[in-house]
Parts: sequence; C-alpha cells; structure tokens
Amino acid sequence: MATSRSDLGAPDELSERERDAVEAQLFRLADDEYIQAERYTFWQVRAPTLESDLAVANNAQDELGHARLWYDAIQQFGYSEESLLWESEPDDFQHSTLVELPFSEGDWGDAILRGYLYDVAEEIRLAALEESTYREIRERTSRIQGEEDYHVEHAENWLRRMADDEEARQRVQAALDRLYPYALTLFEPVGDIEEDIVDLGIRDATLEEMRDEWQERTTAFLTDLGFEVPTDAEPATPTGRDNEHTQHWHDLHEEMVSSYRNLGRHEATTLMDDE
Amino acid sequence: MSSEPNDPDEFDRPRADADATPCGYTEYDTKERTTEEVPATGEDADGLEREVWAALYGVEDPEMPVSVVDLGLIYGLELDDGDATIDMTLTYSGCPAREIILEEVEAAAAGVDGVDDAEVRLVWAPDWSLDLVTEQGKEALREFGISVER
Repeated sequence: MATSRSDLGAPDELSERERDAVEAQLFRLADDEYIQAERYTFWQVRAPTLESDLAVANNAQDELGHARLWYDAIQQFGYSEESLLWESEPDDFQHSTLVELPFSEGDWGDAILRGYLYDVAEEIRLAALEESTYREIRERTSRIQGEEDYHVEHAENWLRRMADDEEARQRVQAALDRLYPYALTLFEPVGDIEEDIVDLGIRDATLEEMRDEWQERTTAFLTDLGFEVPTDAEPATPTGRDNEHTQHWHDLHEEMVSSYRNLGRHEATTLMDDE
Repeated sequence: MSSEPNDPDEFDRPRADADATPCGYTEYDTKERTTEEVPATGEDADGLEREVWAALYGVEDPEMPVSVVDLGLIYGLELDDGDATIDMTLTYSGCPAREIILEEVEAAAAGVDGVDDAEVRLVWAPDWSLDLVTEQGKEALREFGISVER
C-alpha cells in the first residue's frame, strides 16, 4: 500500500480526486449509521425487557449521533441536510443492505445478531480510520470510538445467553444463515475509488483486509458458542454500496421522508429560528 | 444539522462508479483550530473578552445546573473587532440538546455590549472527558448529586 501520511488539509484544500475519495468514505459511514438507527427504533418499545428497551434505544441514539457527525462532515462540502435526506431518492443511498432489512417479526435474536455483525465491522472500520489523513474523519473517529465500546459488549452478552437456550439458539442460527450474506455487503466496493481511499491514507486498511479481520473475529466468537458460521456465503445482491437496494429500503425511505413531503416542506426546520 | 438550503442539483450524492462529480464552490470555515490547552476558561481574560467569558459562564447545561465553561466544553474564544468565535465541544455526539446549547452560547456572547456577532464552531478534538471539568464544575456536579470521582 502506497499510503501518504501527510494531512490532506481542510475541506476546501482537497483536490478533486481527494475530495471524491473522502466523500466516498463519508457517505457509507453516514448512511450505514443512519439506517441502522432507523431500524433499531422498531425495537424500542418491543424488546424483551425494559432494560433492553433502554439499551436498544440508547444504541439507536448513539448511531443517530454518529450519523449526524458524518453528515456534518459531508455538509462541509456544500451539501444540505435537505438534499442529503429529506429530498433524497432511495437510490441516492449507499448503506449496506444489512441495515435496511426489517427485523423478522418478534425475533430478538435477529436484532441482536444483526447488531453484533454490524458493530464488530464498525469497530474494525473505525480502527482503520484512526490515523486518517483527513482531519474531519480522524477527529470524529476518536470521538465515536469512545461511544461504541458498549455496543459489541451488549450484543455478545445476549448471544452468550441465547446460546444456552435451545429455542433461542435456533433463532440465532437461522438469523445468522439469513443475515450473513447481507453483512458481507458491508465490505463491498462502490467502485474504483476504493483504491484511492487507501492510497490517499483516508483509511489504512483495504475492504478485503477489514473483511478478513471481521470474519476471523466473528467466526471465532460465534463458533465458540456453538453456532455454525456460513463463511462460504457470497455477498447478497444488490449490495447497497452500488446504490441498488432491496424493496425494504424503498418502503423505509418512503416512511422516512413522508412527514417532510406531507407537510410540503422545502427546508429542514430547526428548534429555534436563527436570529 | 443546520445548513443553508442550496440547489439540490448542484449537490447530488456521488454514485457507485460515477464519473468525477461536479465541484461546486462553497464557503466554509478553514481556520485552524486552537492549539491552546483545553478547556479554555478565560482565567486571564480582561476587558471585553472577560465580559464575554462572564456571559458564557451564565450558560448552563440544559440537564444540569452547571456552566458550560465549568463542564470544560469551551475550547477557545476569539474576538476580532466585534466578532466573537467560540470553539466548543459537546459531552455526547448524540446530544439531543445540541441546537439549544449552541444557540444559547451564541446568544449569550452576542448579548455582551461591544459584541456585534457571535458564532460557535463545533469541534470534536481533543476528546472531551470528565477530566476537563473544572474544580468548580466538579463541586457543582457533586452538589447536584453526580459523582465525578473515578
């Protein structure tokens, strides 16, 4: 890897190539976190205990906060919140299809396993961004890492408990078989720009390296609990990274922008008007 | 997130394998951020600066009766003629009170005689932690019933 260690500079100092690569990295960070949070909210009043209602709600709030940080960084290039979210089309988004799937009805194992697969990938990705040559990414990464620790721990604790119960074990195994190909899309490319992201030092690991680390880590943990990990699986298509999504995302997106549309808005409102 | 609406056509999201995206001109803040030690508390400030710091001390966290200055959230204050620029962080990225706090800080600084305009720049480095809370802030937190010993 020919990685340049010099700082890329402020948003307006980037060359076109640098800016394209930075944007490519930022969009998947923002979209993954945002849609993961959108789905989490489903469980907020349906989790099996009040404690887990709180945990899921808290995870969702964390991810929304992180999405806001990443979209802020994107807005430094001139995008508006309206065009990014409320006036967007479903195929504008590049999140992995893992985060857009609805949960199987009543299946807490699905929710926990999905969180686990996602959050381990998130930890690995953030670690690869720690030394990013783009300051706006580097500084946010450090802040976010401090708030992500608990997510994997929470999921692992639940998986250990569910592995001890026969019915729960079957549900988790079924979720693993179902979700694994979708989780692999987290490591799919958006195109040739992937090489630039690494060459420019925006991220210091390739998608393949991150996927290998993720597979190693998740397989070790899940196998130890007695689950069979379908490591031979191919990534699901469409991947989401290619701007193509499942029908589930189209439905969720419709819901997401419906208030804005129904109220005939042209701009996102703030709590207080600027003076 | 708050921003000026702009022409959506000018800022289409990048597509997978898209050709080079158009590069619209935008203005943003490129000033290097403070390299001073954080947090800033205005200890040695005098004159107008001192008055701005006094105003900032008056802004409390919406959830706790503790000044944002004592919480260590203010990383820097610059005065340029009548323009005040405040570097500030938040305790939590998902803080739902972000807009409220930022508006209050700007309003407090702008309310000082001699300040025409105030702007908050949100910064995320260095990381905020409990270590940045001032002694006075720790005392206020204890009184409020929050333990700050680790």
